[in-house]
Amino acid sequence: MAYPYRHDSEVRLLSEHFGNPRARTLEGWVELGGYRALRKALGMDRAEVVNVVKASGLRGRGGAGFPTGMKWSFMPKKEPGKPHFLVCNADESEPGTFKDRELMRWTPHALIEGCLIGAYAINAEHAYIYVRGEFFEAAQIMARAIEEAYAAGYIGKNILGSGIDLDITLHIGAGAYICGEETGLLNSLEGRRGEPRVKPPYPAIAGAFRYPTAVNNVESLIAAAQIVENGAEWYRQWGTEKSTGTKLFCVSGHVKRPGNYEVPLGFNFREFIYDVCGGTPGGKAIKAVIPGGSSVPILTADELDIGMDYESMAAAGTMLGCGSVIVMDEGTNVVKQVRRMVDFYAHESCGQCTPCREGTAWSAKILKRIELGRGTPDDLDTLLDISDKMTGKTICVLSDAAAAPIVSSIEKFRGDYLALMEAGDLALAGAR
Amino acid sequence: MSATPIRAGSEYDPSSWPEARENPGFAGDTGEFPGLDEDGVRGLSYVGERPADGGHASVAGTLPYQVATRDPEAPLFVGPYEERLEKVLGRYPDRQAALLPALHLAHELRGYLSPQTMDEVAEKLQLPPAYVRGVASFYTMYNLAPVGKYLIQVCTNISCNLCGGDAVLESFLKHTGTEPGEMSANGLWTVMEVECLGACGFPTAVQINERYFENVRPEDVPAILERLT
Ligand SMILES: Cc1cc2nc3c(=O)[nH]c(=O)nc-3n(C[C@H](O)[C@H](O)[C@H](O)COP(=O)(O)O)c2cc1C
Ligand code: SF4
Ligand code: FES
Repeated sequence: MAYPYRHDSEVRLLSEHFGNPRARTLEGWVELGGYRALRKALGMDRAEVVNVVKASGLRGRGGAGFPTGMKWSFMPKKEPGKPHFLVCNADESEPGTFKDRELMRWTPHALIEGCLIGAYAINAEHAYIYVRGEFFEAAQIMARAIEEAYAAGYIGKNILGSGIDLDITLHIGAGAYICGEETGLLNSLEGRRGEPRVKPPYPAIAGAFRYPTAVNNVESLIAAAQIVENGAEWYRQWGTEKSTGTKLFCVSGHVKRPGNYEVPLGFNFREFIYDVCGGTPGGKAIKAVIPGGSSVPILTADELDIGMDYESMAAAGTMLGCGSVIVMDEGTNVVKQVRRMVDFYAHESCGQCTPCREGTAWSAKILKRIELGRGTPDDLDTLLDISDKMTGKTICVLSDAAAAPIVSSIEKFRGDYLALMEAGDLALAGAR
Repeated sequence: MSATPIRAGSEYDPSSWPEARENPGFAGDTGEFPGLDEDGVRGLSYVGERPADGGHASVAGTLPYQVATRDPEAPLFVGPYEERLEKVLGRYPDRQAALLPALHLAHELRGYLSPQTMDEVAEKLQLPPAYVRGVASFYTMYNLAPVGKYLIQVCTNISCNLCGGDAVLESFLKHTGTEPGEMSANGLWTVMEVECLGACGFPTAVQINERYFENVRPEDVPAILERLT
């Protein structure tokens, strides 16, 4: 784990302290201006906090891009005997994504502060941070930071003398991608199988333990805290009208300088890959790029002249997702990589919905057959037909996510599929 | 490097590890963050040693899930483990919510969840045994059968795969002389494929027990195995 790279084009709001071990400690964090946002929030009305975040235009960084302030404003009025909960989604398991882990291990107190401010805003008395089980290291750092913050009175009874009681509990997952889906996560938190729930009701009405709940991603909460401290206008100076602020982009695959880079939304995608990330190792041509994690449609090298924001990505037929950029150079066997992604979804499907359970499994089998050189052109029609039946018909969008790379790769890399079919038993020789 | 082991009895002693590139699993600093060593990145001295009783109730459920020291016969939920479970129970509105943490505790202590262990957890939390098994089997991190002292999980998902994840997996299998998921005859190794570990920018990512090894190349494997034993 080389500690990776930075670049002059970055605007480091969330990642300013990456690489500075001092920022991890409570003492260091306070020295750097930490917990000022919390103090400020506690001096504001709850509605005011929600409004600032709303005005900033911040959109959820967990993948769906739903406006964070809006989500908070959906929380019902507090009724006696009916607790509210904030749940931080730190399950980070979308292939290609590794930003929340860095946020937690470099700036654990930033996340604590974000959780406290979020919980205050929605009138919750308890926040759970659901960290994926594999993140032992990040969880240990979070644990230490939570203990420090309790001891110093930032968490617990009457925090900072405000008269407000707020608890945080660290909850560790046990290995299941689907627990990243917010209602699967809530079931998992309650000690159940992590199966997504049918919506409505949405978590704001019946969430954790069936009480009103907001589920927010790690990056969203940390950004929200900075917005509360510095104001909505401050945040809007970066990004575009509808995609405001900065975002952490996780870059992996065939790039010279992989890692996390924070740039304003709307940054030019081609420049990002070639300049910020240094292009491909050995200067090879790029074949394909997945811009937002394995669940989003693939782009070709000709489609990179777009902005890295929610609207531009949508206009290009794909999604910003969680900002996980996976680069594939000219030597890549796209079919193999798509098959690997679909294997993943077949493994992670929770099995509640037939189109998803059967669709992912059968698509994976057909793709494997094609990869081995035993496919026929009819298989592509079958795959497209299955994908169609998997899209928009299930309890959660894992099924849609599995279909996205299949459909986009057949559309854009049909030649690769056909070449494997023609190669027959020789297909494996060129595999990579 | 002045690293403190993360946990008493931890099998890793990072202070004895060689530096930078000769140090498989920790490729060191790129030069853009001067002076960072492994402790600096991993936060080992910040975390220090976690207390056996789990520390503050808010985090008492969070110790490692897969450590090298285990005892399949150890009594469950006694001493510090009981304390930890009690603390965990206090953090949720109902007992059922403590199920994952309770299974983690049992798993940490015994190394895997036998049917007997799951039944004990069920009894402790007053949940139906079949329910507990249904939940435990949903999650991949709970081993339902014994695994080697070192559980080696190699990510072969897309980002790692693009950079040679399959070859790293092959290398681990070859050097341990095992098949995927099979425990080596000496009880030391179980090698498996795993889905994305959330470390995609540092391919290939490998999780060995509770710890990540990153930027692992096929040729690094012998040195990693040697270091573990
Ligand atoms: C299959 C699936 C997996 C998901 N995984 C994650 C995840 O690992 N982390 C995350 O924050 N959101 C994940 N999400 C999105 C969450 O459901 C939810 O939208 C998000 O946590 C809300 O937080 P935000 O509004 O701050 O983005 C996933 C969604 C789906 C459908
Ligand atoms: S779409 Fe798939 S993962 Fe989502 S609920 Fe249905 S079966 Fe489960
Ligand atoms: S793809 Fe290997 S860690 Fe994410």
